Amino acid sequence: MASDSPPANIHDRPSSPDDSISSPIGNTFSSPGGAATRRGRRGRSSAADATPTPPQNSRFAADAATTPTPPTSRRPRGGGRRRNTPSTPAAATPSSADEAPQSSEGGEGDDANEAPPMFVWGTNISVQDVNASILRFLRHYRENPAETEGKYMRAIHYVIEVEGESLEVDAHNVFDYDTDLYTKMVRYPLEVLAIFDIVLMDMVSRINPLFEKHIQARIFNLKASTCMRNLNPSDIEKMVLLKGMIIRSSSIIPEIREAMFRCLVCGYYSDPIVVDRGRISEPTVCGKQECLAKNSMTLVHNRCRFADKQIVRLQETPDEIPDGGTPHTVSLLMHDKLVDAGKPGDRVEVTGIYRAMSVRVGPMHRTTYIDCLHIRKTDKSRMQAADLMDTENGSSRNEEDNPADHEDKVEKLRELSKHPDIYEKLTRSLAPNIWELEDVKKGLLCQLFGGNALTLASGASFRGDINILLVGDPGTSKSQLLTYIHKLSPRGIYTSGRGSSAVGLTAYVAKDPETGETVLESGALVLSDKGICCIDEFDKMSDSARSMLHEVMEQQTVSIAKAGIIASLNARTSVLACANPSGSRYNPRLSVIDNIHLPPTLLSRFDLIYLILDKADEQTDRRLARHIVALHFENPESSQEDVLDLQTLTEYVSYARNHIHPQLSDEAAEELTRGYVEMRRRGNFPGSSKKVITATPRQIESLIRLSEALARIRFSELVEKKDVMEAFRLLEVALQQSATDHSTGTIDMDLITTGVSASERMRRENMLSATRNVIMEKLQIGGPSSRLLELLDELKKQSSGAEIHLNDLRNSLHTLASEGFVSFHGDTVKRI
Amino acid sequence: MVGMPYDLLANPLGAVRLTFQKAVDSGHSGAATLDGRDWGAADLFRQFLFDDGGLSQVPILNAASVRTIPPNSLVRFRGMIQDMLGNEFYVGAYKDGGRWRTNKFTDVSQVPMDLSSDKRVWERRLLYCAPVPWLNSWTEPSSEVLLNRCASSTSPQTEKRQRDDDETIDHMDMEVLDHVFQGSPPAKKIRGGHPSPSSHSHECMAEGTCSSTSMVPDFESSSLPCLVKIYDSAEDDLKLNDIFEFIGVLTFDPEATAADKGDSDELENGFCEEESVHLPPSKVPRLHCLEHRKLGVHDFLSISPVMEPKPNQVKEIRETLLGHLTAVLGNDGLAAEFMLLHFLSKVHARVDTLAVGKLSLNLTCFNKENTSVFGNSLNLAVKNLLPITHSIPLSVDYLNTSTLAPRKDYETNRLMSGVLQLAEGSHLTIDETHIQAGTLTSVGVENTRLLKNVMELQKVEYDFKYYKMEMTTDVQLLVLSEGKSNIFPADIVLPLRPSSVGSTEMLDSEALKAWRWYLASLRSLPHTIEPQMQKVVEDDMVAARQANRTLGSQDFSRWLTMGRLMSLSFGETCLSLEHWQMVKELERLRMERLQ
Repeated sequence: MASDSPPANIHDRPSSPDDSISSPIGNTFSSPGGAATRRGRRGRSSAADATPTPPQNSRFAADAATTPTPPTSRRPRGGGRRRNTPSTPAAATPSSADEAPQSSEGGEGDDANEAPPMFVWGTNISVQDVNASILRFLRHYRENPAETEGKYMRAIHYVIEVEGESLEVDAHNVFDYDTDLYTKMVRYPLEVLAIFDIVLMDMVSRINPLFEKHIQARIFNLKASTCMRNLNPSDIEKMVLLKGMIIRSSSIIPEIREAMFRCLVCGYYSDPIVVDRGRISEPTVCGKQECLAKNSMTLVHNRCRFADKQIVRLQETPDEIPDGGTPHTVSLLMHDKLVDAGKPGDRVEVTGIYRAMSVRVGPMHRTTYIDCLHIRKTDKSRMQAADLMDTENGSSRNEEDNPADHEDKVEKLRELSKHPDIYEKLTRSLAPNIWELEDVKKGLLCQLFGGNALTLASGASFRGDINILLVGDPGTSKSQLLTYIHKLSPRGIYTSGRGSSAVGLTAYVAKDPETGETVLESGALVLSDKGICCIDEFDKMSDSARSMLHEVMEQQTVSIAKAGIIASLNARTSVLACANPSGSRYNPRLSVIDNIHLPPTLLSRFDLIYLILDKADEQTDRRLARHIVALHFENPESSQEDVLDLQTLTEYVSYARNHIHPQLSDEAAEELTRGYVEMRRRGNFPGSSKKVITATPRQIESLIRLSEALARIRFSELVEKKDVMEAFRLLEVALQQSATDHSTGTIDMDLITTGVSASERMRRENMLSATRNVIMEKLQIGGPSSRLLELLDELKKQSSGAEIHLNDLRNSLHTLASEGFVSFHGDTVKRI
Repeated sequence: MVGMPYDLLANPLGAVRLTFQKAVDSGHSGAATLDGRDWGAADLFRQFLFDDGGLSQVPILNAASVRTIPPNSLVRFRGMIQDMLGNEFYVGAYKDGGRWRTNKFTDVSQVPMDLSSDKRVWERRLLYCAPVPWLNSWTEPSSEVLLNRCASSTSPQTEKRQRDDDETIDHMDMEVLDHVFQGSPPAKKIRGGHPSPSSHSHECMAEGTCSSTSMVPDFESSSLPCLVKIYDSAEDDLKLNDIFEFIGVLTFDPEATAADKGDSDELENGFCEEESVHLPPSKVPRLHCLEHRKLGVHDFLSISPVMEPKPNQVKEIRETLLGHLTAVLGNDGLAAEFMLLHFLSKVHARVDTLAVGKLSLNLTCFNKENTSVFGNSLNLAVKNLLPITHSIPLSVDYLNTSTLAPRKDYETNRLMSGVLQLAEGSHLTIDETHIQAGTLTSVGVENTRLLKNVMELQKVEYDFKYYKMEMTTDVQLLVLSEGKSNIFPADIVLPLRPSSVGSTEMLDSEALKAWRWYLASLRSLPHTIEPQMQKVVEDDMVAARQANRTLGSQDFSRWLTMGRLMSLSFGETCLSLEHWQMVKELERLRMERLQ
């Protein structure tokens, strides 16, 4: 081996320091003894020698020549992987032919230098093949064929430019380009990654021979992720992708890589001694010829080289834990740059090599850990807050992460948006376990999508956030809706009105206990900037706390002037509040306003105010009864066909918010004006000004926002007339205005349509038009009145077969009466 | 399998190894293909334990017997899975010379392993099991079974345990007297019945619990936790808080010190599975599980299946039990009916967040005077009838200081138990009568919320620091309060109307046995409804709602639960009109009382 001393040299240098890291590992790991290890090492080093093809060889040597000059060329992150290469065979073999052991290997290692086909120990993987395919991949992989330069060539140049230390390699790309290489990489990561690094090093030195840092390949984004609890002995020494949450990270452990000794007698400094498999061979004799004192060498700490290391504990995320289990945990070993890459509480995706080592307490036990290669923070359960509304800079991140995937998803979402009934479908998918309340859900959907925020050149800004208030009888699943929205929304904050104070909602000034400085602490509203702030039990909130909301809900800022801090914080948040009516149950004898009992200043800031009333209806009751009986006696199966799952819904909403910015069409604008004028007129009904919620300019803004949201739901860049009409409908339905008697401001309980299914509503509408027709035919304006039963008979005759109840007729007549078409007293109907 | 060369009880490992050798010898490539799976040892033991009736000969592992049972012998352990410690990899098979040997079901290898020898790494699961919390002393398996083998050595301890039990009962009686005579200040009530200082003395327990509330304070005699190692078992078989009987090989070495800990360096400590550090083998015995079976409430009855009462006797038992409850409740028949239904309740389905089948009861009109009479006799009655019972004397102080929810301690990587980590089918009495005005700290508020969640959803949030994890539970909750409890909204609120002072009847042990059997076995009966009956029920509900708008799904749910329990209480599996009418009548009477 004398001939290849320079290459051997480079191998020894970079890799031996690495060995040091493995101190307890390499040491105690039950590899088949030192013999195998040594052979493995030789195999490795020869692999390193033989890898480069002839023309590269010289460069390689050149590079090698630069290597010995110490610190700079040291591989900064040694790594978990290279250092352990020697011991690999022992651990990797359980799956492969291990029975026929070392003997056959012996020869191979020796003549490996000469014999061209070289194999990774214990496998049939040819080193040259792997080398070549890695080289091909790095050179030629392109994301789209039009690019002139490969993705990774660009990346390498970039890394050289910024003097980076690692090259991130997307395993998906490897898979796309060379499936075989991918498989090898996952199955034998230690070997393949070592070759990867060599290839990289070689490429870099060719591009820039003076570049001295060693670049590591960091693989991420494997095709399949492993569930933590499914890791089993067969995964040992394989590359795995795990998702989880960091629960604990140790302090940074400095680990010696290279030791320096000094002679106590003569002061002679030894050459740096690299750690070899966890041990430093302390020189027993002074190296200086003149001295040669025995046992005089002492370690000089500040001339030794150390590397950072950290042990991190990763725990399963709650969604992976089966029913009745506790979360599993696994240790991660982080080196150098990865140290402190994640804090406790972060959700991360870790790519690494699963390893086992024996514990000193019991030689039979194995402790397992992941040798970490790459770590990525994730938080996927929510719409990504950063991406959500920051259209300028935020949206691109996702795409870069995973272009192909992203394209795919976008395509799917677009496909979805083309469904003619997408609006209904999304409505159904929102809180599917709460039945009915369709219109409320539609309103909430609008809130999730939001309108366009607009800033005029003059500085005036219009919010795009839609605020919703739910007022309703107890037990109408308001809180459930709230929690659902909270789960779905980005940065959702959920507070209860009873426990919230004004400062808790907005912001407050506090003294830092350590430094004594005054600091600004954000409250719920500021924290939910660009999200939805859900406030339960709004009615139980103190008045002062509620008044703080005025500014937030219209100006979308929180201003603080206190203790020397004057600040205005952004609080671009949608407010979703829910409250009980003033007497805790809705009192039909009082007007809507009296029932809600909130100051009009605040009320007008809500775009939609829903009255959710529990109404006597035999059919609903029966359905309820049946539902409950089924609950108790059958095995109720959740038959929710045709419903989007939360993930898709989240993505859909997120994409729409980022990419769709609808504009009003002329037609829609016209409709808006018309509708608004009509609303004003209705609100100014003589003698009713105090009892009904009248239309204000704020409402036209609400309408615009709602229409924009509705267009967004369809992924449409244009607000159409039907959007505006639906917006009007939502606004009316919300307040049960169709059922409101405008002369008294009370709601006719029989007319409430919320909580009535679409088909039922359709039936009622048909009934209404039928009744209208009959009255038109039979009654004269100002003519004699007619009895209810006569009308019923007439209707029955006309409808031929369909059952008509007196109650239905009554309902229709009430509606007609509220339109001013007929007058209806007791049992007599009169047309006016 | 006659004439086994090994005594399965005394030397189970011998049998394990023998079967292993056989399997390896007969197999093609030996241990390599085995991959940790069972090779027939489990069948051997299964046959021995269940078919040949060997189970009763297996000594039960508890604090008393652990010192006398020789290590590496077969034992059984009854306990609740308190924590799951994940998987452990171990060298399952290795080559010793030319022979494969196995390490399955043991912690130490038979012969010293050669470092360079060929090995196979297999995995096993670690479960931390504790004795069932709040298990009443009458459920202790009859000791004669356990004493078959090591009678001479354990009998003193058994006697001692017996004495301990007597003491607790004595103590309880004294408490009763205390309350009668002193009007019992609330602070005292907190520790009522459970002398807490003693619980701290026991080191094993102190480690797993928190200062103010030990997990199993009054079962020192059997408070031995155990680290169970599970082999070859599907993951979803074993769930947290399930009660199991594990039969396996014991390894326990009270003398062992933590193996040269000073030697191991920092890195190794970082990786080292915490259980070996925090659960040293010298304190916590290991059980290598060969066989396990899930236990239900009825497994804790000392009654043997042979003497199960006949169906026609069920009604009789129901009558006598009702009579007993009526007497305990001061001649309040209605309360006794509800109490009976409450005792039979069980969560039998979960839909969304709803727990179907629970029936929590809130008895009101307890005041300082009658609590001491009825409250305590009721507690005693509950204790005598149900195997797992616990009573929380609620006070502001208790709420502020106790640990109700289990909490994950990441320092030790252990789940710290809380009062609400209860096995399925436990009964919990919350005594609200002694609560006084005071300020709840954040801990107190959190605890209140937890109790409320248990009551409403039958769920306990386990605190995993970075997130909360909801665990379902099935606990019967009884609230005693002066007025309607607003903190804990129970399914049924019923004012107690006693007409006589609680009786001091002597309990007939035969009757007690029958009642226990009745309560334990009837509640697990299946239940259905006929279509025509379903129609009746629906009509009744619709009519009721038309008449009274305040009725909601909760009320209907309650009716149906009661209907189900009512027919169960007669030993029937199908809802009949008669029982439905009874339920409606009960509800009517209750409504009258509430007004």
